[in-house]
Amino acid sequence: MRSYLFRRLAQTFPVAFGVVTVVFLLIHLLPGDPVEIMLGESAVPAQKEELRRELRLDRPILVQYAEYLSGISRGDFGVSFRSREPVLREIAGRFPATLLLAGTSLAVSIIVALPLGVLAAMRRGKAADLLSGFAAILSLSVPNFLLGPLLLLVFSVQLGLLPVSGYGTARHLVLPAVTLGLGMAALLTRMVRATVLEELRKEYVVAATARGRSRRAAVALHALRNALVPVVTVLGLSFGAVLSGSVITETIFSWPGIGRLLMQAIDARDYPLVQGCVLVIALCTVAVNLATDLLCARLDPRMRYD
Amino acid sequence: MTPFPVSARRRIAAFAAALLAVAFSFGCSRKLPIDEGRLVIGLPGTPVNIDPRVATDAYGEQILQMTHASLVRRDAAGNPVPDLAEGWTTPDPLTFVFRLRAGLRFQDGRPLTSRDVRYTFAWILDPANRSPHRAVYRYLSAIETPDERTVVFRLSEPFAPFLSTMERGIVPEGSPARGYAPPVGAGPYRIDDVSPDGEAVLSAFEGYYGGAPAIRSVTVKFLPDGNIRFLELKAGSVNFCLNGVDPDALPAVAQTRRLVVEECPGGNVSYLGFNLRDRALADVRVRRAIAMAIDRETIVRTIWKGHADIVESILPPGSWALDADIPAVRYNPGKAKRLLDQAGYRDPDGDGPFPRLRLTYKTSQNEVRRNVATVIQEQLRQVGIAVEIQSLEWGTFFSDVKKGNFQMYGLTWVGIADPDIYYHAYHSKSVPPEGANRGGYANPDVDRLAESARREPSKARRREMYREVQRILARDLPVLPLWAGRNLLVRDRRLLGFVLTPDESYAAVRAMRIAPPARGPGQGTSR
Repeated sequence: MRSYLFRRLAQTFPVAFGVVTVVFLLIHLLPGDPVEIMLGESAVPAQKEELRRELRLDRPILVQYAEYLSGISRGDFGVSFRSREPVLREIAGRFPATLLLAGTSLAVSIIVALPLGVLAAMRRGKAADLLSGFAAILSLSVPNFLLGPLLLLVFSVQLGLLPVSGYGTARHLVLPAVTLGLGMAALLTRMVRATVLEELRKEYVVAATARGRSRRAAVALHALRNALVPVVTVLGLSFGAVLSGSVITETIFSWPGIGRLLMQAIDARDYPLVQGCVLVIALCTVAVNLATDLLCARLDPRMRYD
Repeated sequence: MTPFPVSARRRIAAFAAALLAVAFSFGCSRKLPIDEGRLVIGLPGTPVNIDPRVATDAYGEQILQMTHASLVRRDAAGNPVPDLAEGWTTPDPLTFVFRLRAGLRFQDGRPLTSRDVRYTFAWILDPANRSPHRAVYRYLSAIETPDERTVVFRLSEPFAPFLSTMERGIVPEGSPARGYAPPVGAGPYRIDDVSPDGEAVLSAFEGYYGGAPAIRSVTVKFLPDGNIRFLELKAGSVNFCLNGVDPDALPAVAQTRRLVVEECPGGNVSYLGFNLRDRALADVRVRRAIAMAIDRETIVRTIWKGHADIVESILPPGSWALDADIPAVRYNPGKAKRLLDQAGYRDPDGDGPFPRLRLTYKTSQNEVRRNVATVIQEQLRQVGIAVEIQSLEWGTFFSDVKKGNFQMYGLTWVGIADPDIYYHAYHSKSVPPEGANRGGYANPDVDRLAESARREPSKARRREMYREVQRILARDLPVLPLWAGRNLLVRDRRLLGFVLTPDESYAAVRAMRIAPPARGPGQGTSR
């Protein structure tokens, strides 16, 4: 188990390095000059050159890249061009909001998908199955930027139950989390249904029911645990999608998370902040995938020797 | 087999119905911010900075108009009027002497003196502070403070727009720049709390020289998404939104009896820019043909739903320097075709598919701007000009415009405070990176007039010079001024006292008050 863990940890370094390199190159290749954006049009060329020197943007791109790598190896992500705050402090201020949103969305998707998927599998071909299939397709088909305002219209404007936007209380969290979680729940529901169905056909379930266990107990005690391995894998993979999806959801709901910060940083060509945000999102995705693999290995010991 | 017996299902249904009824009744009876005496402003974006020494974005400036007072401010016509200064004198074109009002105080209780004024501008001028406003004050050679209430600004050369640059919030001596935490000011509202990407919470400043504002509590929500602003207004959680609702959504807003819509001429002028280095567009006949092929009235009627005014100059409607007699460019596709013929761009195949001329039109990804580009593309097609639209991400688009990497582009001048914009935008020395003459226009007469006008202390003579500039530009058409979008305010009908101005100023928030709820049906907190 330990060697498996080390092997997986070692794999994260090239991924992180790749992300750093690609993001650095892409953001520097994008047209748009951060100095122009910061100083506006009234600035004279000498002032722009001065700032360019100060931000070390006058150096060759390879030198800038080497300096950036050296900085992040020491845990120094640089200073935001825009706010003049350290990038890590900026991200630390916003990341809890994104983690809260992503975590709650995952919880929403699990709470919806597990019972619905199992129910659909147990009642294959019946109304519950057809209904859950229809709901899943509907959820997958409606994009976040449409679902969000629709939910707002009903629950905030018509019913007045929940705030339209903002952050700080549990009521603020409900609609963004549901918006982000429903699409994932749809995918998970179909996944749970398929894996539970597969397990239900296996001999150990037949044997369990032959020994007198009810079908419900056979699923709950035996089939579900085995069905969970692919589900957990999909959940882990979905986390990255949730983080990237949060960019849209955070903008819709004015949620002060890292997604919205990233959008503003791109607009301002705030290179250190863009790089920092993407790197943190990428590292989180890698970390969650690692945790997922470890969890899967725990659920299914055969995986450790793959 | 069903999961629940019939009686249980009935109980669940009854419970759900009861829950829904409670939800509806809760929704209908909830208390809105206006009932608590709170003004909630929906700002259509997130301010980058709320420090008057470094803020350049419109949203930051709009918050500062409520929280920070400056020596002068502008009236609706763009004229400087006293704010912290009770008056000023100009003994010679190089000297401006401001006299501060007596008894001024900052929101933390400290007295506001001439030393604070000097500190604010010295801070901006210090290169170490990287203020984007430093270039604006490059003509300042000295700031003197002979006594507590007198500030003397000495200029290195005459600069007529100097007074308009004095609209800069004053901060206490020694205030550091602290990221998102703004320094205190002397405006009618103090900032109690700012959450980046969230909101700013303001409260009335009792010691404001003009008297404490009637509305004690103001929340400014940063809402970049247009749908959310609309929904917040409908829900009543935002009760004031200036230029934050698309013209398309106004009829839906008007259905809410609690809300009213007001409008006034706006100060943001959209224009079509030409690259005069381009072989075809260097010919004024081609530029005029394009101008005559664009039916601006139709675009204003269909896309702006009538909430825009057609303009012939880049100066906003109401500006003191505007020449209202500039000959208008009339929509005339027939004459446009003849001008193109004269310029050598004859139609190769009559009504056939081949165009006389192919051009590219760059614009941002803003939905309204893309719609405008599509209509212009179709209107130009009708006179034989094939237009390829390139809708680019803002940073890329603006970078291309500044580099001169375009044939035509659509952009808007925002917040023109002084006609000195003509030096910045049309003087032959103002080609980027020096200024904003992006199309590479050069006319010695315009250069001479723009140079003289910025040195001329007499406003009447400046006005004459700028009128002459406008007449030349109307003839040369280095850009085609299109329209100025009208300022649209959606507010709760109980909010009174706000005066809409073309420059989208929030300064009048201090004069607002909340009327008591009306007793009639459909009033009060009903939605």
